[in-house]
Formats: sequence, structure tokens, C-alpha cells
Amino acid sequence: MKVLLIIPAYNEEKSIVKVIDNLKENYPQYEYVIINDGSMDHTSYICHKNKYDILDLPVNLGLAGAFQTGLKYAYVCGYDYAMQFDADGQHKPEFIEAMIKEMQKGYDIVIGSRFVEKKRPFTLRMLGSFLISVATRMSTGKKIKDPTSGMRLFNAKMIAEFALNLNYGPEPDTISYLLKQGATISEVQVEMDERQEGESYLNISRSMMYMLRMLLSILFIQNFRKRDRVRKSNKSYMEGEVK
Amino acid sequence: MALVFRLLLIIVSILTTLYMLRKIRQAKLQIEYAIFWLIFAGLLIIFSIFPWIVNIFTNLIGMQAPVNFIFLFVIFILLMKLFLVTIELSQLEYKVKELAQKMAIEEKLKRDEEKENCIK
Repeated sequence: MKVLLIIPAYNEEKSIVKVIDNLKENYPQYEYVIINDGSMDHTSYICHKNKYDILDLPVNLGLAGAFQTGLKYAYVCGYDYAMQFDADGQHKPEFIEAMIKEMQKGYDIVIGSRFVEKKRPFTLRMLGSFLISVATRMSTGKKIKDPTSGMRLFNAKMIAEFALNLNYGPEPDTISYLLKQGATISEVQVEMDERQEGESYLNISRSMMYMLRMLLSILFIQNFRKRDRVRKSNKSYMEGEVK
Repeated sequence: MALVFRLLLIIVSILTTLYMLRKIRQAKLQIEYAIFWLIFAGLLIIFSIFPWIVNIFTNLIGMQAPVNFIFLFVIFILLMKLFLVTIELSQLEYKVKELAQKMAIEEKLKRDEEKENCIK
């Protein structure tokens, strides 16, 4: 069972060493790749110096583009499972095993969820998460308790689909869309640390825009999408790119 | 506002929405970029169905006819959008340039390395 942890990193020089050293020392069974998303600080330099597995993007693509790069890499190398893992220490590797076990029951996506057994706290940020949950429920009839969790595990079928298509960002609206299309999704209780270093990408106005986008996308746009099954093999994908 | 004008706004807005949705369906448009047009079309539809909203704003800025407010509103929003698109375009061009240069230099370095190996 080949598992790849995809670690998008944008200006994470302060936290990356701690996260990767922890992975390498305590969880050597998982392979990982850092996707350096055109960082302006020493992220790339530190990773190369420590001989970490790293893929450098020459320009900044944003989280969705960086994560998709990792999925394309996983797809080309034929990994069975791929997972998004934060470079800032938010995600804890001790929960990966439980997620993989859940996956082996035959799910397409397993979400590392903060609120399976625990209740969602009442904060402004969680209000957004709650609204997205409600929208997903209205749109698909199914419950996702932690739609904004970034800790998601994908099987080979999903890796291919995410790697090769447009509008497959690692966001709740894609999850809702796939649920509607019949993908099977499960959640496993995990704990997360608050961000240790660096500031969150989301400020108030960005959060509002994000919510507006997600709700409009989940409740309206996703209903009109057509799902293109992946037909290309991973070999023909690389050859196509080289030509 | 005249009924014909309102109907026209509604029809054009619906057509815009349908066109955007079709492009998304064909996987030719990113959802992020469609959101603006869908909200814009939605606002025009709301203005057409509830003209009293337009009247409030018209009186507020002291304009004569509500239809003038619609024009002002559309021109303002489109100008803003154009401004933002210009910024995006500039960043995009910078990225493409950066990419091309990086690729070309890397390819050249690779060839230089091979040449050195040959001489040895």
C-alpha cells in the first residue's frame, strides 16, 4: 500500500523542519513530498539542505494548484492513496493510520474530521463551517461534519480525477459535488493543532468572499456540472505532457 | 423603469448565467471566475423585479431617472472589474515570463553540464 503525503508549503521556513523531522523519525512508513509553492523565504533552501523530498514550483500557484501538482505526481508514480498534509503543524500524523484503515473499507475519500465525536464550538470561523455543512446537506442529502478540514485522504480513482480535471480544488464544494455524483466519503475523528507559525490566509473580507463562493458553488453551480470520467492512463499522461 | 427595459435586463442576465454554467459544464471555466458574473447577473435580476430598490438609490444620489442609476451602477462595476482584470493580467504575464525564463535557463544549464562531461 503506497501512501503519499502531499505537503503544500508557501513561506513555511519556521515550521517545515519540525513537521518533516517528526514524519521522518516517527512515521517512516509514509512517503511524502513537499510542494514548494514559489516561496519567497528559505523554505526551498532548508528542504534541499536537509535532503527532504521536495518539488519546487517556479511560480506561486496557490493552494489548489500546489496540491494538484502533488496529486499529479502521485498519479504518475502510481500511488494507492494520497493525502493533503499541512506544513504548519496543524495536522497530526498519528491519525493517518486510522484514516487509512477507514479507507480500506472501500471509501473514495476519508476526511480527518474534528467534529465526529466532538461538538463544533461556537466561533465565527465555525459558523462558516456550519453553513457549508448545511449547504452540502441541502444539496446532497448527506452529512459532512467537518467540510473545511484540509486533512483529506484520496484513493487512486480520486487521485486521477483530481489530478487531471478543471474545477477540482481541494475545497468543500468539490466534496459536495463528488458526493452528489455518488462518491463515497467517510469521516474519522482527529485532533488538530492551532496554527503554530505564520498567519492564516483567511482574513475577514477574504473569509466572506470564500463563504460566498462556497455557498453559491455548492447550492447552485455544482448542480449543473458534468462529470468526465478519467480515460487517460498515467503513462499516456506523461507522454502527452512531454510532447 | 419601463417594463420592456426590465424584461430585457432579466433576459440578458439569464442568458449570461446559462452561458457561464455551460462553460463550467464543459470544464472550460474555473468556478472562481464565474462567481462574479453570476452575482452581477443576479443583482440585475433583483433590480428588475424590485424596481423600488433602484428608486431608493436614485433618490439617494439625486438622480432624475432610475434607469440612469442602472447605467451608473453597471459602468462602475465593469470599470472595477476591468481594473482588477488588468492587475491579474499583469501578474499572469509576469508568471509566464518567469516560467519561460526558468525553463530556458535550466535547459541551457543541463546542456552545459553534458558538454563538460563530453570534454572530460
